[in-house]
Amino acid sequence: MHQGGRDFLSSEPVSVEDAPSAVERGSHQVLPVAPHQAMNHPDRIDTGPLAPRLTKASRKFFWNVYDYIEWPESIDGATWYMAPELISIYGTEKWESLDQRARTQLSLSELGNFFSLTLQGERPLVQGLVHRLYLKSTDPEVTEYLHHFVDEENKHMVMFGEFCNRYIGKVYAEKKLAFGREYAKGEEEVAFFCKVLVVEELGDYYNVAMQEDERIQPLAARINWIHHRDEARHMAFGRRFLQSLAERWLAEWSPETTQGFQAWLAQYLRSSWSDFYNPMMYKDAGLDDPYGIRTLALDHPLCREHRTRVSRKLIDYFISVGLLSGEPQL
Amino acid sequence: MDELKIRAELRRWVVERSGMEKSRVLDDETRILEKGILSSLDVVELVLFIESLRGSEVDTEEIDPDVFSSINSLYKAFF
Repeated sequence: MHQGGRDFLSSEPVSVEDAPSAVERGSHQVLPVAPHQAMNHPDRIDTGPLAPRLTKASRKFFWNVYDYIEWPESIDGATWYMAPELISIYGTEKWESLDQRARTQLSLSELGNFFSLTLQGERPLVQGLVHRLYLKSTDPEVTEYLHHFVDEENKHMVMFGEFCNRYIGKVYAEKKLAFGREYAKGEEEVAFFCKVLVVEELGDYYNVAMQEDERIQPLAARINWIHHRDEARHMAFGRRFLQSLAERWLAEWSPETTQGFQAWLAQYLRSSWSDFYNPMMYKDAGLDDPYGIRTLALDHPLCREHRTRVSRKLIDYFISVGLLSGEPQL
Repeated sequence: MDELKIRAELRRWVVERSGMEKSRVLDDETRILEKGILSSLDVVELVLFIESLRGSEVDTEEIDPDVFSSINSLYKAFF
């Protein structure tokens, strides 16, 4: 199995500083910004040295999704795929009623749902990032990094799709529907990068928790590790970019627009969490009353605690940049 | 479940979800999204509730968003 020069089970935290010099990178040169491109645009967000640093790191860790992972013909159904503590009904009466076989079977469906909802979240993300490439309002160094961001997200979708189709027999469907709405100036841009951060930060908590968990089936652990390695850069970019956007637009929005946005974001977080309680995955794991299980878990205090714990860093960030006014009910 | 019961269940769910006063009557023609009774983010939960009522999955890829306009349009589209 090609490891890209690293042992995935002994992964080190990936630093955005961990990038080679132009000489070390050989032909992978970061091109200088031409003077005409550096002309300022009123909506352009300056990320300082971050975007070029992330570009260098992405080039250093460039990988081929088609030869990076070996896919076994079949997988063992009697082992953990999702860590038990991360399973959506963990700690509930329903969980306690399941035997070991039923729990490991559910762990496979849960992992399939987790990979599916990450994939489904990455689809509009890629669409939105591609839309922003080469706009006059997008800094050329940011465009350069977005190419890597899109490339890496595309690989993740290939990887998650392959796992789900091979071992679950499907990718779980997206239930969200797109409804048009009116936005204040800048609001759609801020909402887009909030959505990006939500899908990445929540997913990353699970990736980090599982990437070195020796109870987890090795392929499942490896996919979590691969995803975290790229997401560390995406989140560094997303936090910095969104902070600048928030500073820019919160200063211009009316109090009504700001309050409306904060209410939307709180509801979006709740809605994103509800995707983790997919009745279809309970049904596929052979559990009766899948909709009842979902309601039980969403209302259960232990599950609420779990959601709050996993969201802690993200909520603190949103509050610190002014996009949430306080703790949302999850 | 017959039509009257399904419509009543849909109205009850929308009223509870929206936080409307329970004494308020929701007409089957009321424009649920247009009037801001539900938001687009509530629709995911509504889809799952509809699935639980009819006992089968809803394919959201095939749905015209207009079917979420009112109780009437929901009933016609999903039951």
